[in-house]
Amino acid sequence: MFEIKHTLCPSCSVGCGINVILDNEEIVGTFPYKRHPVNEGKNCLNGRLSAENVTDRHPFDLKALNDAVNKLKSGSNEKTTVIFSGNNSNEDLEAIKSLCESNGFNILAYADNLKGFDSVASYEDIENASNIFVIGNILYENPLVGRRIVRAKNNGAKIYVNDNLENTPTSNIADEFTSVSVKEFIENNNIDEESVIIFNKVDSFEDLNLIESTNSNLLPVYSKSNTKGALNLVEAMSKEDAIELLNNTEILLIFNDDTVNEIDFDFKSISQIVVFSPSENDTTEIADIVIPVKSWLEYDGSFTNCEGLTQKFSSLCESDYMSITDIIEKINEGLE
Amino acid sequence: MSYILAKSKDNAILEAGECGGAVTSIFKYLLDAGIVDGVLALHPEEDIYDGVPTFVTDSEDLISTAGSYHCAPTMVGDIITKYFSDKKIAVAVKPCDIRSIEELIKRHKIQRENIYTIGLNCGGTVSPMTGRKMIELFYDINPDDVVSEEIDKGQFIVELADGSEKGVKIHDLEKQGYGRRDNCQRCDVKIPRKANIACGNWGAEDGWTFIEINDEKGQELIDGAKSAGVLETKNPSKQSVEARSKVENIMIKMSKKVQESKFDDAEDMDAWKRCIGCYACRDICPICWCHENCELNKSYFKDELNIPPEPISFQGVRLSHMSFSCVDCGQCDDVCPMDIPISLIFDKLQKKYYNRTGYIAGVSDDIKPPLYSPDKIEL
Amino acid sequence: MSDDIKIVGLLCNWCCYGGADTAGTARMQYPPNIRIIRVMCSGRINPSMIFKAFEDGADGVFVGGCHIGDCHYDAGNYKWSRRTKIVQDIIEEFGIEKERFRFEWISASEGEKFQKTMNEFQKTLSKLGPLELK
Repeated sequence: MFEIKHTLCPSCSVGCGINVILDNEEIVGTFPYKRHPVNEGKNCLNGRLSAENVTDRHPFDLKALNDAVNKLKSGSNEKTTVIFSGNNSNEDLEAIKSLCESNGFNILAYADNLKGFDSVASYEDIENASNIFVIGNILYENPLVGRRIVRAKNNGAKIYVNDNLENTPTSNIADEFTSVSVKEFIENNNIDEESVIIFNKVDSFEDLNLIESTNSNLLPVYSKSNTKGALNLVEAMSKEDAIELLNNTEILLIFNDDTVNEIDFDFKSISQIVVFSPSENDTTEIADIVIPVKSWLEYDGSFTNCEGLTQKFSSLCESDYMSITDIIEKINEGLE
Repeated sequence: MSYILAKSKDNAILEAGECGGAVTSIFKYLLDAGIVDGVLALHPEEDIYDGVPTFVTDSEDLISTAGSYHCAPTMVGDIITKYFSDKKIAVAVKPCDIRSIEELIKRHKIQRENIYTIGLNCGGTVSPMTGRKMIELFYDINPDDVVSEEIDKGQFIVELADGSEKGVKIHDLEKQGYGRRDNCQRCDVKIPRKANIACGNWGAEDGWTFIEINDEKGQELIDGAKSAGVLETKNPSKQSVEARSKVENIMIKMSKKVQESKFDDAEDMDAWKRCIGCYACRDICPICWCHENCELNKSYFKDELNIPPEPISFQGVRLSHMSFSCVDCGQCDDVCPMDIPISLIFDKLQKKYYNRTGYIAGVSDDIKPPLYSPDKIEL
Repeated sequence: MSDDIKIVGLLCNWCCYGGADTAGTARMQYPPNIRIIRVMCSGRINPSMIFKAFEDGADGVFVGGCHIGDCHYDAGNYKWSRRTKIVQDIIEEFGIEKERFRFEWISASEGEKFQKTMNEFQKTLSKLGPLELK
């Protein structure tokens, strides 16, 4: 049977919709979802490849899960840290959070050195803005937010871009382009309350305070689909704090995250790393125990995108694996 | 080639379908008689703005595909190539769909004997989100309240649940940047004459579908559906035929005007400089079928560090490969994350090619586009 | 500086390459701006090769093939002649003057025609100046 089903793109925090093509219940490709209000059928390369990139996992092994539970039992709770990643759905994150709280595990929510803000600019705010300040190569890295900037420009907005790379799609649409520090960029420009600042990377947490002090509309664009949802539940950590916490960690639980490629840290120094992952990556590579779980195509859940819009997605195909919420239930049973 | 008026004998189809429900009835006949494995058509997933291709194998399910979806700018050529090459199917086609199928048949990607093509006359399609926005802005109607829409007499008309209708002139919508997609505004092939039959309401009496039978296979279809008792037919009046050709000619004339006014914009277009090199335009293009072996992936062209790519060595290469076969379906525009009006330049070059050779992509009968021909001719 | 004009020349092995050779052995002077690439037939030249040359810094691209009727492979130059139209149509769209692309039929004995063509092309390109892609 040939079917086309709706889902969300898991590639970044923009919250695009994407259609998945199933041929005899097997995912064979993606298809534009033109009815979706965020992206109108437009997806970047990562998005279009997202469904095909769900790789084969090892079969689920109950013994591995029991081993993990035993490790948790014998370890010290204060030295146990859990990576709180925006790759997980809101529902899974709730489960992870309560697991941490009831056992006193440390929570590590690292979001590319960005943090959560109470109120953020919406995509519509971008299109209606007259001055837009962009930090980073947003058009290339988050194209469907980039497109809103292009539309704003067509509406007459002035675009100021600060990035370390020249001749990028983003710098090419800038009215003014600079390659200075975030601090200088914010201080040198006259940024009023009507302006919108869009950024996907900063040098440090201090920059965030500086950006916040402009009182303008902010839109941090995170690299993961539900980082906004994660940061609604817990505070983000700076890179320095994250590394300090990892230094004091003996058991590290990683739920669906490729942490080793994001934080520059010698993960081999941690005695036990348990990874729950729907796919194989560099993090599962260094893990002591790997427990395969469902991918977002195989369970129901929701993601909150960077403008704060919470969107649901549904399971598209059968799976032999457990979801993170189910796994956590098993862990709780084991720990009792 | 001949004309008939047709009407479904099934009341449920008559109710759900557009003007006479002939298309759905013919599909029903093909499925029930076991002539095809399935029917590829659109059905509304969430609402009428969300038409999604679906493959129907049980004629009971056909009713969900009945009706017209102007807010579903889909393309079936590449879907057939990728997923249905080994099946016998019937498919509903807009002019750009059948043109892409024709080009793919020339490229040996689709077998003509495996498909039945039911053409739908097309005055153009509207992007779903554009459609919703314009219904809010110009109709003062909540787009969710609309139960169906149609394009008739130069108007885009929406119907509400209580049966009331509201229309706005397409010309006025398009002046404000809404209305049909850019490529549809330029399109000058309104009746899919390469399909086995071409159906529509232009010139038809109320409650009847006007059908142009384009070939023998089309005639067999109609005869079969009639003798199976799903379809009744009668001959159209002379006025009917004339009215239809008048609608067609007006639309073509309007499109040519748009072409003239827009083609010059293709030169000096500075939108290329925001290209992110994602290849969405190539990957969605129904004519570009050889992705695995694409010249753009060769080491001498692929340059991931150089984004935006140099237009001449990205779009230029693609243009040289297939612009003469561009069917102006506009899928490249639809999927471009950077809103680059890509189809404009491809359509322009196909028209230039037409002026040199007389070749219209997916319409002309030539076995191959002249560029590939082994004949000893110069242009 | 007109001396800096870069011309990439794609010459068919059987005719134009021979023509260039004839010009050389007869010591006919022609501008040294051309970088010659020998191909077996003008029919094996794709438009993309011309575009690649422009992208990589050529100010002009020249293609030389056999006279119509003389193709070593029967119809290769017919195919190329049809492609030239596509090339002209496309480069114009991207702001490359169509004079920057030139093709001629030059036989192996026409050293003089090769010399004349190179002189003319070099002159045309000097007038246009270096190509600046947008």
